[in-house]
Amino acid sequence: MNTEALKDLLYKMADDQLILGHRNSEWTGFGPLLEEDIAFSSMAQDKVGQSWQIYKLLNELGESDPDTVAFMRNAEQFHNCQLVELPNGEYDFSLIRHFLFDTAEMIRFNHLATSSYAPLALLAKKIKGEIKYHTMHANIWVKQLGSATEESIIRLQTSLDSAMPYALGIFESSKFEKELISEGIFRGEETVKSEWLTQVKSILEHTKLTMPNIETITPVFGGRYGKHTAHLQPLLDEMSEVFKEDPTADW
Amino acid sequence: MILKSLDPRVTRLSIELSPDESSVAKDGLDQFETYEAFVQSKEGKPFEHAGPVHAPNEEMAFLFAKEQYSRRGMFCNAICVIKTENIKVSEYTDNGQDIYNLVTDHPSGNENESFEIFHLMKRGKQHKHEGSVLAKDFDDAMAMAKKEFQSDKPVFNVWIVKSAHIMASEDEDKDIWDTLKEKQYREATDYKAADKIKAFKENQA
Repeated sequence: MNTEALKDLLYKMADDQLILGHRNSEWTGFGPLLEEDIAFSSMAQDKVGQSWQIYKLLNELGESDPDTVAFMRNAEQFHNCQLVELPNGEYDFSLIRHFLFDTAEMIRFNHLATSSYAPLALLAKKIKGEIKYHTMHANIWVKQLGSATEESIIRLQTSLDSAMPYALGIFESSKFEKELISEGIFRGEETVKSEWLTQVKSILEHTKLTMPNIETITPVFGGRYGKHTAHLQPLLDEMSEVFKEDPTADW
Repeated sequence: MILKSLDPRVTRLSIELSPDESSVAKDGLDQFETYEAFVQSKEGKPFEHAGPVHAPNEEMAFLFAKEQYSRRGMFCNAICVIKTENIKVSEYTDNGQDIYNLVTDHPSGNENESFEIFHLMKRGKQHKHEGSVLAKDFDDAMAMAKKEFQSDKPVFNVWIVKSAHIMASEDEDKDIWDTLKEKQYREATDYKAADKIKAFKENQA
């Protein structure tokens, strides 16, 4: 098995989950209503938990332990897509990002459930229920607010338009697409993307929202190769603040 | 003036306080309708009333009920929501009197529609799903329920709802209550601080 290709895949997925998990946790205490406060906080814990599992797989492949990997890297060492590091903005943006990202996540892990790398296939099966609920949650909210009032529709449409170039950045090809596909580890970003487009459109059809014309959009790439917005480093500084006080402390 | 809070995250948002915001009158009631949420804790156990949620529709009620009344892990197998106005509530009895003793013994035998029956067996407890009956209307369903479900134990109150008015989670979706077990980092029990606190207090003394 091509370990370099595998590590690259694991890093980008775990980093996506950790960073979005942290962003989701920023809704704790600020949700627009109590149930959403709880929902985003609980999804935050799921995402961080999922990233921890993947960092543990990386650890078994020879990388540093999960805490070190999560807290001691700088922004340019992270492989997450830029979509997940963008600030929460208002609830409409967070909801749209959650919808676009988790739809891709569900498709990705459905594929990984049959990965030739057995530990990853096992993990994909374990977190199927969590991800299913995340998409159920996102879909119901998008359907609701995407056809509720003039304000809610305009807000979601604006967020959808501004998030879409970043969302397409989820599917930035890695250096190892061919190897991952030929070794049966992962079916590749292009496959996930084409299913994702179908799924996103099918939910938007239940709303008054318009799918942006993706042919005319330039995807925001770079995240997978360590190129990030100015928003990531402050997030990492805050996330690792306590850990860096005393990295040797036993929690 | 900027809103100041004990939560530094709030203060950081620099929210401008507008002096007259509190005096803006609300137009009428703007609350959503209520739905009652029921939780099934384990496969085969009866659905039990958990509480109400306010929501604009059934799907949203389902989400809110899931967040508010269900816990993952081994604590939930399914939930359902029913619009409160669709639940027919019987009279309440007291002093050990069985509500079914106040009900006619003669169902019509017209079995047109399915109704679900919920029993209150102890004041202060939750209504639990008892079973379903076929009947032509609510009164008839009550008579059928008496025939089917009356026992030695008195029932203090009955809720009846048309089966068609229930939105329940799908059996294939019960995995939404699964969660990764390895989440030590969020368990308070993992922070073994008692000794440190004791040592700190001794130092302070």
